[in-house]
Amino acid sequence: MTLLPWKRTRREVAPTASLFEELALPLLPSLHNVAFWLARNSTDAEDLVQETILKALRGFGSFEPGSNFKAWIFRILRNSYLTSRSGLAARRTWSLDEELEEAAEFGSYPESVIDRQTPEVNLLRLADQAALQAAMEQLPPLLLEVILLCDVEEMRYREIASVLEIPMGTVMSRIARARAALRQTLDMPRREARA
Amino acid sequence: MSGHLTETILNALADGELSAEQLVEAQAHLSTCPSCTSSALSQTMLKTSIAKAGHRYRPSSEFEKRMTRLASHALEPAATREAGAHKSGARKPPQPWRVLTYTGWTAAAVLLLVFAGLFSMQRGGQQTAFFAEVCDQHIAMLAANAPPQVISSDRHTVKPWFQGKLPFSFNLPEHLPGDTTLDGANLTYLRDQATAQLLYSIGRHRVSVFVRKRAGGAAVSYGALKEVSGFHVAGFSNAALDVVAVSDVDPTRLAGLVQLIQQVQN
Repeated sequence: MTLLPWKRTRREVAPTASLFEELALPLLPSLHNVAFWLARNSTDAEDLVQETILKALRGFGSFEPGSNFKAWIFRILRNSYLTSRSGLAARRTWSLDEELEEAAEFGSYPESVIDRQTPEVNLLRLADQAALQAAMEQLPPLLLEVILLCDVEEMRYREIASVLEIPMGTVMSRIARARAALRQTLDMPRREARA
Repeated sequence: MSGHLTETILNALADGELSAEQLVEAQAHLSTCPSCTSSALSQTMLKTSIAKAGHRYRPSSEFEKRMTRLASHALEPAATREAGAHKSGARKPPQPWRVLTYTGWTAAAVLLLVFAGLFSMQRGGQQTAFFAEVCDQHIAMLAANAPPQVISSDRHTVKPWFQGKLPFSFNLPEHLPGDTTLDGANLTYLRDQATAQLLYSIGRHRVSVFVRKRAGGAAVSYGALKEVSGFHVAGFSNAALDVVAVSDVDPTRLAGLVQLIQQVQN
């Protein structure tokens, strides 16, 4: 006897085992990369990906073939992260209330935040990949995850909204804030030199 | 900033998220505004640079193999697994009909071997199913991400919790290696038998140790089977108990924990 729910649906799920492999395994490097960025260490990242795969396997019976598997499995990864040790620790330092309050203040972006420099200057700063990675590490998790999904995973806004379970407007707001924060961090040495 | 493209429009432009009408309007503005053109270029460069910098971490080949095994075996029914295992092994071709022409003694010997083989396969199949259920229980514990029914690192709390819940008793080791901790325990069922599921952590790896009353018949064999669905399995049987541990931790460390548990069962 077993109390496991997936045992009861095993007959329905079993024929789709190869489909799961076909869909999930190519995403393994992406899942691991995003997990590492969020968890900030290899062990937690691997635990997070393993938990994601296990949960995805368990719930694969409810996945509708033809729908967006990438968004589906990244949503599982994100929810697993939120309940993980590192995710809970991150949430303690960055509460959703703060996020919402800040979003309200951020309705319109001050001119100073928008980059009005020459492309040549920007190119020099962006060429320093280590500096950009360091700037990304400083992003709060809520901004980091949205920029990873948008720029690294090349997801559409509606897919990101589905993964993060937030409205499209919030996705756009967070992307704008993340990029503005990155620019400000990258620009800090120049401002300090000027001061 | 009236007259210039907003940050949202610049971002959506870089992300290819503008509608056809918005794109026409933005392009018309960019053709006359060097400042916004510069900003749009800057946004695109930032996006490209983030994409490059963001691909930073790659999984180890060992981890990839482990996940591949997990994905390929976890949904596979036991029957298919066994069939696959048979395919991979070197099977002897079926005996030709001419063996029936041998003497009566030879036929009797063949029949004896067949029955012995069937018995062995049946027992092996039962053990495979048992280990699959053990792994399923461990995976369910990991996936549920719920606290144990009894949360304690103290063996004097965990063991008495099972009083009245199990028709047997067992001992837990007092001294564990440095990075091994007792996290708690659950009451569960294996093969319709009430079973104690002891939860340990070795480093960051979770371990389930299932303790149940020794079933009648032969003891569970751990010699041939060391891995199920990517998880390592170790255990022992004595006169009273069947104990089986499952985890993705290094097999020698898992075996070390099992040995400690075995030592205190007298």
